[in-house]
Amino acid sequence: MKKGFSWYKPWHGWIFLIPTLIGLFVFRIGPIIFAFFMSFTDWNIMLQPTWIGLDNYKELFTDPNFYQILLNTFEFSLIYVTGTMVFGLLLAVLVNSKIKGIKFFRTAYFTPVVTSAVAVGIIWSWILSPKYGLLNVILEKWFGVTPPSWLGDAKWALPTVAFVQTWKMMGYYMIIYLAGLQNIPSHLYEAARIDGASKFQSFWRITLPLLSPTTFFAFTIAIIDSFRNFEIIYTMTQGGPQYASTTLVYSVYVNAFVFYRMGYASAVAYVLLGVVGLITWINFLLKKYWVQRIY
Amino acid sequence: MKKLALLLLLIAFSVALIAETVTLEYWMWDPSIKDKVEKAIAKFEETHPNIKVNLTVMEPKNYWPKMRTLAFTKKLPDVFNMSSGYLEEWAKNKFLLDLTNYVENDLDKDKFFFNLFEAGKRISGTDRYYAIPFALVVTVLYYNKDAFDEAGIPYPDENWTWDDFLDAAKRLTKDKDGDGEIDQWGFWFYGRYAHVESWIYANGGRLINRETMRFEPDENALEALKFLVSLVKEHKVAPMPKEMKGIRQQDVFPRGLAAMWVDGSWNIENNRKIIGDKFRWGIAPVPVGPHGSKDVAYGWPDFVAISATTKHPKEAWEFAKFIAGEGLTLDMYMAGKIPSYKALTMSEEFDEVGKQPVEKGKVLRELASRKLLNSFTMGWSEWRGYGAAESMGLNGLIDAVLNGEMAFDEMLDQAYKNVNRVLKRYYK
Repeated sequence: MKKGFSWYKPWHGWIFLIPTLIGLFVFRIGPIIFAFFMSFTDWNIMLQPTWIGLDNYKELFTDPNFYQILLNTFEFSLIYVTGTMVFGLLLAVLVNSKIKGIKFFRTAYFTPVVTSAVAVGIIWSWILSPKYGLLNVILEKWFGVTPPSWLGDAKWALPTVAFVQTWKMMGYYMIIYLAGLQNIPSHLYEAARIDGASKFQSFWRITLPLLSPTTFFAFTIAIIDSFRNFEIIYTMTQGGPQYASTTLVYSVYVNAFVFYRMGYASAVAYVLLGVVGLITWINFLLKKYWVQRIY
Repeated sequence: MKKLALLLLLIAFSVALIAETVTLEYWMWDPSIKDKVEKAIAKFEETHPNIKVNLTVMEPKNYWPKMRTLAFTKKLPDVFNMSSGYLEEWAKNKFLLDLTNYVENDLDKDKFFFNLFEAGKRISGTDRYYAIPFALVVTVLYYNKDAFDEAGIPYPDENWTWDDFLDAAKRLTKDKDGDGEIDQWGFWFYGRYAHVESWIYANGGRLINRETMRFEPDENALEALKFLVSLVKEHKVAPMPKEMKGIRQQDVFPRGLAAMWVDGSWNIENNRKIIGDKFRWGIAPVPVGPHGSKDVAYGWPDFVAISATTKHPKEAWEFAKFIAGEGLTLDMYMAGKIPSYKALTMSEEFDEVGKQPVEKGKVLRELASRKLLNSFTMGWSEWRGYGAAESMGLNGLIDAVLNGEMAFDEMLDQAYKNVNRVLKRYYK
């Protein structure tokens, strides 16, 4: 058996990785590095970029709208992360049963995840429309309540868009939690039942703690995912009214592809990267305090 | 032997010279007329055997990023479409060939609406011609004839004043089913450039001081803005923009939600599609304000431009002239776009008899001959709030006033700050 694979050296593995590494560099790392340098320039694509040092960042931090955009971004993330995790878990608990036909519901709840964000945005725009929109017709005719213009009112635009995005993605977190739930040994529940624990106590003392690795994963993913909200905003409100639903991602798009200010847009993108990176880092730091391992 | 070789060489060389074909690259932004353009190119190649034209067509949304990249890498096509919004930037950055000599010496001016060339000069912010206009769009007043008949109001015409308009709007705003909610508004608008600037220019006003290149709306412009705001707040003949959320703005009028609407003439096509036979409708010039006149119109051309770095300027000019004028046919124009080539616009075919609006030919021809004004500048999309940035800029500010979220004076204050901040970046 000596002849086998003994002539392979350890570093040969790297050769097989080359195609992936090239792809990773050209399409991901390369642009990230390029954008870093771009953020210190003024570039409108047509002319040569001019180096302006920290001017883009200075402009960013003195722009009165920037703080609203930052706040909007956090508000969106808060609603999204809370919503997807709570409802994701709820749906997972609901579909984690062996009733006949439960697979239909799993598929149904997951379908919005794989539906185009533009399609979701258009349909929800209609549902939430003050004139002829399904929701407002129901609220007015059946409940006699005059609802606001969900997407047109400065107070409601952002929560509404965050809600729609949450609705769209909760099926994804349902799947994550479902996997986590099914990994919990059932004998624990049986033992608890024998000891007289209620359903609620079982959930609180067994399910949730043992789900903590899953919750950590879902939480990390949800935070990163919450910043990817361009399509839904573009379709439903275009950042309006008046920056009320503009987030960092939307600002990057508008500055890069409508105003052709590549340098400035890169600076905004790097602020976004910094924010996401910071939150994720804090998340990992705090991990040891609440994530338990299942042995 | 030597003499023979020399003779052969000479013959080969002259044959090569005569047979030398020039290849031009032409890029355009309308995939729906690709076949028709190819036919036009074939016609051109027949009459110009030494010129070959390669056509590239792009979707509108991909066109500009691609064009800008080509400009950056110095690989611009010889001839390409140019819009009013970018003409100044491209001309001032020397990406376009200066066509002034050609226009003055090699163009039959009577064949075109020459005021469009002048508009192009104004838009470019220079005193030279940098592009050939091939189409024009203007804003018009759309009105629902059936609603007018029902309310017993005579149709608008070019003599309509703002008082006539307000009176009609009041009588056209109705709660038809008595549920306390207005079903038909007299008018529909929001902070959009096509909606607002139309009234400013109809009142002889201006938003931008062209001497200083700063946002300085004059008395007439402020009067127009206040008039528009009063339509929503005081007279209640137009809805707040947020009430129409979820409906595409260009569908409000054709769906009968408003009896009047001012927007670009290119909406004729969408109107025809959505209205069909449901009601009769027409167009008229934008009503004239108390300080306005009937010889200006809010409109802007689409152009054909030539790259400043083209290797064949003369051939490019021949082709550009052709593809902006005689090479075109009416079926290449979306309904509501006006050809700059007079033969096309003055033809009977342009009237599109049998289709709505019946006064299309008459109104559009009249508007095409007026002096064209607009407020395009570099950075316009940003300070005005256009497309994906519609909620921002001046558009967003005006909407905030209409929605009752901001006072008029505060809006003006912010507008001065925000718009000039952008303009300062481009015009030092």
